[in-house]
Amino acid sequence: MDMKNWVAQTIAGKEKRALPVLSFPSVQLLDITVRQLISSSDVQAKGMAAIAERCPAAAAVTMMDLSVEAEAFGAQVSVSEREVPTVIGAMLAEPEDADGLAVPAVGAGRTGLYVEAVPKARALIQDRPILAGIIGPFSLAGRLMGMTELMVNCYDEPEMVETTLEKATEFLMAYAMAYRDIGADGVVMAEPAAGLLSPSMMEKFSLLYVKRVLDAVQRDDFAFIYHNCGSAVEKAGPQIASLGAMGYHFGDAVDMKTMVEAMPPDALVMGNVSPVREFAEGTPESIRAAVPELLAYCGSYPNFVISSGCDIPPHTPWENIDAFFQAVDEYYGR
Amino acid sequence: MAILDDISATLQKGKKKALLPLVQQAIDEGVDAPTILQSLLDGMDVIGEKFRNNEVFVPEVLICARAMNAATAMLKPLLSEEDAKPLGKACIGTVEGDMHDIGKNLVRLMLEAKGIEVTDLGVDVPADRFVSCVQEEGCQLVCCSALLTTTMPAIGTVVEALETAGLRQQVKVMVGGAPVDQTFCDRVRADAYTPDAASAARRAVELLEELTA
Repeated sequence: MDMKNWVAQTIAGKEKRALPVLSFPSVQLLDITVRQLISSSDVQAKGMAAIAERCPAAAAVTMMDLSVEAEAFGAQVSVSEREVPTVIGAMLAEPEDADGLAVPAVGAGRTGLYVEAVPKARALIQDRPILAGIIGPFSLAGRLMGMTELMVNCYDEPEMVETTLEKATEFLMAYAMAYRDIGADGVVMAEPAAGLLSPSMMEKFSLLYVKRVLDAVQRDDFAFIYHNCGSAVEKAGPQIASLGAMGYHFGDAVDMKTMVEAMPPDALVMGNVSPVREFAEGTPESIRAAVPELLAYCGSYPNFVISSGCDIPPHTPWENIDAFFQAVDEYYGR
Repeated sequence: MAILDDISATLQKGKKKALLPLVQQAIDEGVDAPTILQSLLDGMDVIGEKFRNNEVFVPEVLICARAMNAATAMLKPLLSEEDAKPLGKACIGTVEGDMHDIGKNLVRLMLEAKGIEVTDLGVDVPADRFVSCVQEEGCQLVCCSALLTTTMPAIGTVVEALETAGLRQQVKVMVGGAPVDQTFCDRVRADAYTPDAASAARRAVELLEELTA
C-alpha cells in the first residue's frame, strides 16, 4: 500500500478513523489464552481478523509484545495465561557481557512466528494497512541489561550501553526489514523506556538509533510510526519531531495538544486515551465522555488521530472498546 | 559554609566519587555529622523537586540517590544513636505476578535517601511475604508496586493479608505503579497513592509522622 499517500489522505480527510493499539483483546474474541495467542501465527492472524471485523479501525496492528526481541537475544521470558509476556532477569551485567552478546538472526525465538503472522493476517484483512509492532533499541537494551541498571549505566558505563544499543539496532533493522519484505505496511516502534530520559540523553541513547532503523526501512510503501508513552517526551518534542517518521504515537502521561503542535503537520500524531484508566478500568460511559473531550481538544488538528495511549490490555472489557469506536463515530457524525 | 554547599551541589550532580572526599573533608574540618547529613538531605529535596517538575529524569535521580546513600553510610558511624536512628522502617516490593522493578527501585532509593530503613523484597512478592517482613522487621510502612492491570488486584490482597494478620492498624500501606491511581488506592483500602518516587518519599515521611503522633 502507498502509505505516504495513506497518511496524506488521512490528514486531508474530515472523518478520521481511530487507530488504537488493539491486538491482545482478541483473546476474548477467540476464547483463548494469551499463551495460545503468542504461540501461533495462525491464531494471531485470526485474532487480528476478528478485531478488524468488529472494529472500524484505521489499521490492523500485530501483537505489541515487547518481550519477543529480547527473547530472541536469549532473555528469559515469563508467559502467563492472561498477561502480555514479560522479560525476567538480566543477561548483561558487565561490559564484557555486552561485548560478547551475539546478534540473533530474524526468526530466533518467536520472532519468525510474529513475522509469519503478517501475510496470514493479510489474507484475511484487505481493507486497511497492517502495522507490525516492534520494540525500540533503548527499551530492548533495558530488557537485556535490567531497566534500573541501564539507566545508571548511561552514566557509569556509557560504552557498554552503546555496545548494547548497536547490537539491538542491528537486530531491529533486520527485524523491521523482514516485516517490510513479507508485506507489512509499516512498523510501530515502541520505545517507552526512553520516555524516562532527559531530552539530551534520549537523543544520545535512543533517537540516534531509532533514526537508523527508520532510515533503513521507511519508504513510500512502508510507514515508520514512533511510539513513546513515557512522561518525559513532552520535553523532547523537537528531537522526536526531527526523526522524520510518517506517524507519532504518544501516551496519556503527556498533554496531547502539546505533542500534536510539536510534531510535523504532514505526519500523523496519535494518542492518548488511557489504556488502563479508560479502556481497562473505565466504563462505556466514561469512555463516551473521554473520547469527545479529547477530540474537542485536539480534533481541529488535521493530523491528529485518536488512539489509545498505549497497548490495550488483553482482558479489557469489549464493551469499553466498542464504546470507544462508537464515540469516535458519533463525533465524526458517522 | 562553602564545604556544605559543595557537598549539596556535588550530590545534585550524582557524582558519588567526588562526593565522598568532600564529606570526608567536612568531617576533617570539624563539621558535625548531623549538619553534613542535613546538607545531603537538602540536596536530595532539590532533586526530588526537580524530578516532580520534569527538570531532572529517572537516571539522574538514581545516581543522586546512590551517591546520597553512599555518603550516608560514611556518616553513620559518626552519628549519635539518636541521630543514626532511622526515621522509620519500610518494606517494598512489586506484587505477586509482576516482574517490573524500576519504579520500585526508584522509590526504595528515595525512601533511603530520606533516612528510612528499607527492606527490598524484590519482584513477584506474595502477600504473606509482606506480612512476615512486617512481623520480623517491625516495618511501619508497606510499599506495594504494580505495573500491570492484571497484577494490580494483588495489592488489595496484601492489604487483606495485613488485616487478617492483625497488623493493619500498625502499618501504613503505600501504593504506586503506572496503572495505579487514587481511586484504586481507595478501593483497596490502602493509605496513600503517589504518582512518582519523589512524592512517595515525601508522603512516607508524613505517614511516619502520623504514626508516631
